[in-house]
Amino acid sequence: MRRAGASVVRGAGLALGRALESLAVVVALASLVFFALRLLPGDPARLILGDEASEGDLARVRRALHLDEPLLVQYARFLRGLGSADLGDSFRRPGTRAMARVGEALVPTAQLAAVAVVLGAATGLVVAVIATGPWLSTRGRRWIDCLLVGVAAAPLVAFAPVVTWALAARARIVPLPGDPDAGLAGLLFAGALLAVPLGAHVGRIGRQALTEVAEAPFLRVAVAKGAGPARVWWLHALPAVAGPVVTVVAAQLGALLGGAVVVERMFERRGLGTLILEAYASRDLPVLEGAVVAAGMLFVVAQALGTAVEVTLDPRTRAGSP
Amino acid sequence: MSIRRRAIDLVPLGLLVVLSVVGASTAVEPAGRLAPARAWCSPSAARLLGCGEAGVDLTALVSVAELRALALAAAVALTGFAVGTPLGAAAALARGRVERAVARACDLVQAFPTFILALAVLSAVRSPSRLHIGVVFALTAWAPFARLALAQTRVLRGAAFVEAAVALGRARSGILARHIVPNLLGVVAVQLGSTAAAIVVSEAALGFVGLGPRDGVSLGGVLDQGVVGMLRAPHVLLVGATAVFAASAAMLVAGRAAR
Repeated sequence: MRRAGASVVRGAGLALGRALESLAVVVALASLVFFALRLLPGDPARLILGDEASEGDLARVRRALHLDEPLLVQYARFLRGLGSADLGDSFRRPGTRAMARVGEALVPTAQLAAVAVVLGAATGLVVAVIATGPWLSTRGRRWIDCLLVGVAAAPLVAFAPVVTWALAARARIVPLPGDPDAGLAGLLFAGALLAVPLGAHVGRIGRQALTEVAEAPFLRVAVAKGAGPARVWWLHALPAVAGPVVTVVAAQLGALLGGAVVVERMFERRGLGTLILEAYASRDLPVLEGAVVAAGMLFVVAQALGTAVEVTLDPRTRAGSP
Repeated sequence: MSIRRRAIDLVPLGLLVVLSVVGASTAVEPAGRLAPARAWCSPSAARLLGCGEAGVDLTALVSVAELRALALAAAVALTGFAVGTPLGAAAALARGRVERAVARACDLVQAFPTFILALAVLSAVRSPSRLHIGVVFALTAWAPFARLALAQTRVLRGAAFVEAAVALGRARSGILARHIVPNLLGVVAVQLGSTAAAIVVSEAALGFVGLGPRDGVSLGGVLDQGVVGMLRAPHVLLVGATAVFAASAAMLVAGRAAR
């Protein structure tokens, strides 16, 4: 009992250490954005107002964004703002907190990402189990392997619009981009597009891991006890490959967030991606900084969750195991 | 692998470059010229790929955009290779804390939402040029090379010829430059293709969401036009998607020549 308790503590410690490291990266990223906006040639106030702005207006904008203070004072204010999750008012919508707009946008993006992760992981695992189990011929397996490699390498930005055109404009079985009444069907379709590359990656890694597990003694024991192939593969083999699958999902999260920006833009969905693009176009610096930090935090939380899940599922990553 | 096999791996990329050069040089007008009268016109003998939004000639636009995308991807991938390889090798030679720190940094940078990083950094400039886009991609392109070099140097650092160099009193930098890095190049170069392919796709994605170069000559710009005109002129979308597919696949296949 005591050992199990210690291993849980150690797993939590590992996850916490990873989370702290990732947090440091988010602060570094936020700082990079902060300094890039202020140190690169070009006056941020002029970027916001354009070339025609009068000196008085420029001075007003500088004051509002604290751009007239010394850089280190600005940076200290920025770090304090990060710590208290308050980066000031949205510049384009005075009276609205930048972080409030970011929080609003975070929900649909998190939904989209969650749908994509669930669909991608489920499809990838089903394909991996079917391709590794005793159901297919060698030729069929080779076909599936080729398909997985090809799909994993296919660029989302190129195939997502084509698939949308084929299914929405030609076959008319899914809602068109920008359809305000798309609702759940729109979310599922957008999530499914995002899930395609993820599913292929999960399928490839799952297939490798399952092939290794196939030789393991515990599967032979299960077979010897009279379990059918379905029971052996779905109940005994699948949980053993959870670790690598969680790792690959965590590693793909960055790409998933980038893909979410593309998909949101294509379907004109509200979300973190469209907010970043909107803040970029209108140079709403507080919102832009907040949105980038929020994307980073989403990433950190998901990574820490991934580590925690892996430690919980796979006894080999716990302390005290040989 | 035989020279012949390697040459075959380079064929798709070469073919794509030749096609693009031919397309760009035989175009009747400069890429990106607007002619609203023939907006969204279908492919014809005079304009092989048809026209896009506001009547831009797609043959010229796609050819020039393809060449620029390939050049950018090659330049960024080579920069990442030149920076990441010595970094990873030096970290593995230093061992201990430095080695662990570099390895973890590589993991984080590779998993990080680099596309969002690019959006954020590019917002600091008025309208991103190709140089800006290249620099932003280079910020993260070194990581896979460094990780590979690190792993390979872990194997090499115990080799007899490295021990001999240490025994002969060579400085660590000398060992790195003369004995380690030359032995890594082949293994690490394999990554060039997949990094270049990823850059082609990221550049297209940036252009697609509206952060491309101001003149609009980018593969992402073509895809964006394609989505806008999806119902009227699906050929624009198909041309754009094919161009991105071809560029990324050609880079992936060309990378195998380094094996």
